[in-house]
Amino acid sequence: MTTKTSLLKVILLGDGGVGKSSLMNRYVTNKFDAHLFHTIGVEFLNRDLEVDGHQVTLQIWDTAGQERFRSLRTPFYRGSDCCLLTFSVDDNQSFLNLGNWKKEFIYYADVKEPEKFPFVILGNKVDVTERQVSTEEAQRWCQENGNYPYYETSAKDATNVAVAFEEAVRRVLAMEERTDHLIPTDTVKLHRKPRSAASCCS
Amino acid sequence: MLLLLLTAPQPIGTGDAARAGAAANESTEEAGLSVVVLDFLCCSVKSMKCREKEEEEKKRSREGGKTEEEELDGFLCLVTSPIEEEEEEEEATSMSSPRSRANMVHVYNCHPYASQQIVQVEQEPGLVCCGGGALFVVACGGCKVEAYSVEQEGCPLICRFSTMGTVRSIQHSKTGDYLVTIEEKNSATYLRAYTNWRYQAEGKARVGVRLLGHLLRGASVRGGVQMEIIEIPLSERPVAVACCSVTGDLLVGCEKTLVLFTLRRPNQQNLQSQSPWPNTQQSSSQSQGQTSSSNQNVSILDFERSVIVHLPKMSFKQVALCGGYVAVQAELEVLVLKLEASSEPQTPDDSSDTNTCDDPLEDQSDLLLIPRQQELLGDRAKDCDIPVSIEKTGLEDKGQYTLSYVLFRRFTPEFFQGCSVEETQLHSLQLYPLYTRSQSASTEEPACVFCFFSLPNAGYLYSLKGGVELLSAYQYPEKVLEAVLTDTLLHVITKNALQCFTVRCAAVAARIDDPYIDTTMKACPPCSLEVCALRMQLFIGLRSVCVYGRHVILLSAADMETPDESERSTQRRSRKWTISSPKETSAAAHGWNLYVVDTVSPLVLYREMVEYSRHYSETNPQAQSLRHLLSEAHLLLCASSLQQSREGDHTVSLQKDTEGQTEGQTEGQTETQTETQSDRQELQEALRQNCAQLGDCYSRASQKDCHQALPYYRMSGLSVTEVIVRNRPLPSSLHSYGLGFLFYLKHFLLEETEQSLSQETADEVVDIFSQSDPSEIISVCASPSMTNISPARTLRVFQHLEATAGVSVPLTITMATMMLRLDDLPQFTQLMDRHPEMLLVYGFIDEPRLLLHGGGGGPHTLVRPISLTRQLAQSQPGLLVAGMVALHENNKAQLEQADHIFKELGCENCLLVDFWEATLMASSQEAVIQELLFRLASVYIERLTHTNSDAHSGLPRTRPQRRPLKSADDLINSSSHYGSLYPWLTVLCPAHTTSFQHQEALHKLQSLLCGPSMSIGSVLPLLERLSEDTLWGFSLHLLCATRRGQFDSSIEKLLDRCPQAIIAFANHHLQDRHMALWWKKLLPELCNRTRAAGDNSILLAALKETLVVVATETSPAQFLELVPDDGTASYFLPHLMTCSQRHLLA
Repeated sequence: MTTKTSLLKVILLGDGGVGKSSLMNRYVTNKFDAHLFHTIGVEFLNRDLEVDGHQVTLQIWDTAGQERFRSLRTPFYRGSDCCLLTFSVDDNQSFLNLGNWKKEFIYYADVKEPEKFPFVILGNKVDVTERQVSTEEAQRWCQENGNYPYYETSAKDATNVAVAFEEAVRRVLAMEERTDHLIPTDTVKLHRKPRSAASCCS
Repeated sequence: MLLLLLTAPQPIGTGDAARAGAAANESTEEAGLSVVVLDFLCCSVKSMKCREKEEEEKKRSREGGKTEEEELDGFLCLVTSPIEEEEEEEEATSMSSPRSRANMVHVYNCHPYASQQIVQVEQEPGLVCCGGGALFVVACGGCKVEAYSVEQEGCPLICRFSTMGTVRSIQHSKTGDYLVTIEEKNSATYLRAYTNWRYQAEGKARVGVRLLGHLLRGASVRGGVQMEIIEIPLSERPVAVACCSVTGDLLVGCEKTLVLFTLRRPNQQNLQSQSPWPNTQQSSSQSQGQTSSSNQNVSILDFERSVIVHLPKMSFKQVALCGGYVAVQAELEVLVLKLEASSEPQTPDDSSDTNTCDDPLEDQSDLLLIPRQQELLGDRAKDCDIPVSIEKTGLEDKGQYTLSYVLFRRFTPEFFQGCSVEETQLHSLQLYPLYTRSQSASTEEPACVFCFFSLPNAGYLYSLKGGVELLSAYQYPEKVLEAVLTDTLLHVITKNALQCFTVRCAAVAARIDDPYIDTTMKACPPCSLEVCALRMQLFIGLRSVCVYGRHVILLSAADMETPDESERSTQRRSRKWTISSPKETSAAAHGWNLYVVDTVSPLVLYREMVEYSRHYSETNPQAQSLRHLLSEAHLLLCASSLQQSREGDHTVSLQKDTEGQTEGQTEGQTETQTETQSDRQELQEALRQNCAQLGDCYSRASQKDCHQALPYYRMSGLSVTEVIVRNRPLPSSLHSYGLGFLFYLKHFLLEETEQSLSQETADEVVDIFSQSDPSEIISVCASPSMTNISPARTLRVFQHLEATAGVSVPLTITMATMMLRLDDLPQFTQLMDRHPEMLLVYGFIDEPRLLLHGGGGGPHTLVRPISLTRQLAQSQPGLLVAGMVALHENNKAQLEQADHIFKELGCENCLLVDFWEATLMASSQEAVIQELLFRLASVYIERLTHTNSDAHSGLPRTRPQRRPLKSADDLINSSSHYGSLYPWLTVLCPAHTTSFQHQEALHKLQSLLCGPSMSIGSVLPLLERLSEDTLWGFSLHLLCATRRGQFDSSIEKLLDRCPQAIIAFANHHLQDRHMALWWKKLLPELCNRTRAAGDNSILLAALKETLVVVATETSPAQFLELVPDDGTASYFLPHLMTCSQRHLLA
């Protein structure tokens, strides 16, 4: 049991077309495909890595950003250890939607203490020359919303991708270390409150 | 007799080592210790001691630096007991505590485990399961599943994939080829199904995730095949899951409820119509160069929540599902239910009743209630205090489900050796289906379903279909951790050993498969045949076991406290058993191992058992153990043939489930088919051999079982001669023929087979019976199979028999037959004259085959005459007829069979008619009588038309006939069916006017028509052929008309043809209610005719006679009325006077 690797669920959220799937692909397979399909529903990939001496399996969840896929993706927010809110620096609307994504995640993931939950903000497509969102704007938003780390990435040329995911892992590990010191009073709750997600199978 | 054998179990492995072990074993056995008997309690103590000793030895060897090969791997203690004892005990204790059952079990030291491989797993395995040719290993505490191929050498990795949470439980479903897991993540429990897992080869492909029911055309539809995870939301925490091997349905046990999910396999069309999205995106993506054709084979699965069963009073540990049967297991309880879909709306039934009725004891929960042991079978199981109710789910137009109780078993926690009360918990719940040969490939419903569950000290196997019953109870020598049931074997693991026991599933299936089992035609060892252990194979630190096909997968992990020990043992083991592998050193470094132990094919195991049985048959052929071992071997073959018949289907279905695999598979399949063909022949041959050996076994058996020799020999396909040779006693021994052998022989000879024995064999049969059972020798010699018997030799045997046992009629007849065969007619006649005919007839009744062959096979089989029949037809036809009548009357021969015999003898015209006449006399069956009356009437008519009626014209046209045995007078005098001839018939056809034969035939027919039994209606059509021109022909027609009451016309006709007979006719027939015809018909008729004919003396005489009668019967006034107006008064006056006087007197 000493070699136990922890499984960390990291979820990528953000508007359709900001490059969530590309980020995941770049990180896990180190490949980039400019003509990826739209993601339908939810998919994931795993990657093992070592961060600060911790053996970790990172389970990266890629979601469909388009609104019409909402009912397919929201049931799987639960159990996430970290959320990567993603926008595209060449698309101001995707940046403006960050708050909505955060809200949707907190609601469906049933996060107990939203203010403590580790979010990481990714501004993707920095390789593009026509930017609509400036670094400062983004950083300000992060500062104001909970002091979240912000990374400017490019899945196309691999800028900052690994760093960003590693940061996500560090955030989670830091959270766990904090909770490890607490007395575990919050045992398994079997009767969760009824949720809209659970009724979607009807 | 208790013997103890301590022998080092052979290392399982390839080639020489195993053989060397076997040799060592044999040498021990040759020392006279072939049977090893020991009580199991004693065994466990002993084996514990052995282990201590082993450890000591190890210690010593470590200290002394001995080579490890010299060490003993352990000891195997074998336990057997005399069968009778065990049966008695079983009877007495079957319902009481499992511990008090007989702690005896046969152990044969066979080698069901052939070879072993170590799976190259890098991380310590936590959970293991298998299915679909794969072994799934969940890394300890992990979220990663690795799939290895168990069917390929070295168990190569197929793929690895990550799960979404920490796997707590994992199962594979054969149907649908999906995996289902219970997982935990961040303190929440999830239920998930993993489909298309085979497409996760590199572990780097994206995995789709969706909720139950949310089918979408995701990546798996548009691009390559994608692994997909179906998340199944549940309102309660899942505790246990099970997949139905028949349907692929999924049963989930939550804390107090069971949820059944039915597997759905929607096709592409359905999918599109279900898809909530317009097609724009997909069509654009397809235009980007993707083809959808490759997606035809993609397995898209989904589940539908179909029913929820509430069991509020049970907390499950395990669940099982198979073809509508649902089994749940709590710590010490097992409940099996049958869930059936019914189209009728569910009426509020007893399930709701049980729900509402509260247990009175429930309130007293502060009392410590110790539940009592219970075993409730079938309907009785509803008396268990566990209420069950169904909650409807799914769509409204779906059928309803009904529940019925099938089995309930409750145990009490009890201490038993090496297992504390707390540890006494049920485990290894399993529902196991078995298909029979007669089932078609498409049949979904298995013919048999078995339920297995186990306590640490005993396992229980129930058969559920066709009446619930406990099939076997397995007594374990020590605490068993897990058990897995297969077609042929039950594998169990204790902490330090893998053991295997035999099972009785095949015996149950064989009986369902073939209704002729347990008859004189076929046999199969009984379902109640006591089970035995075949092998105990030592391992260290076993944790879990699972089985795929012939592969037993074992997970072992040494205790952490003794790392040295485990390390050493793994090293030792690996050196001895494993195929060499480069990673061996690394495997030895850790304390765990994952083994794939292959079991040998049933045929190989069968051969070993046969080899083993040879020891018994040499030392003690009557031993129960020999029979038991051969019976075990028989059931192995049965199971194997059941397996084979399903194997074809299996490959197909497997292929369906794993579509998208290599194209070479079809090639492989045909190869498999030809292989199966030769396997099947090999199996059939083995089965015949085994039946022959079982036949040998039973042929020497005691009174109780000896009859089994017959079906087994029959199934063996051996000829009688071969069976006789097998049963020939050694010249040196005093050993005589076994009861079973004699039973077999008798039965064979009784049956009307076409197979005749050679003279040599037939003579040997005579010897066998004269030695062992002289009372049967006559019926033996009468068998058609014995036609080649040597008559002179047999006569000597008979003469000796007569000298010792006295004269008997059947013996005399048999001897006479032998004389006939020797062409010694004088001797024949002399012998036949020894007894009066009546006694000889009784002799034929005793043994009909003395007279005819072939009658034994039922009413429609062909019979044939034998030499004696032919001789009797010549010399004693009366005896032959009497004999045949006796056989017919005693239901030993049918009418048609007798007809056939006489036709064969060439006397259908004489003896056959004699036989009919005689049978008519003897029979009391109305149907037979009517049939014979008709036949005889036809024969007589035939004779009348074909013989010349002229008495003086010489020979009849047909060939000269033997004089009938009975003349017409004989028949009239002795048979009630032949009536006395009416007097007017004699007037009409005076005797001696025709030939004798003609006369006889006429008289017989007339007599039949005069008799009470002949139905005129039936004979009329026959008579139509006869003309009325001749007087005899006229007489017959007139007889019929009279019998039918047509007096008026008869009188007219008779007056026309033969008036001299009219008074005899009238006297006979115009009586009582027909009296009035005298004056109403006869008198006017006569008056008219006399008037017309004038001086006809015959008519006048008749008139006179008539007037006398009329005058006597009428009043004077009536008489006056009758007198014709034109008559002479003087002629009538005397009569009127008589009339008046008589009237006055009255």
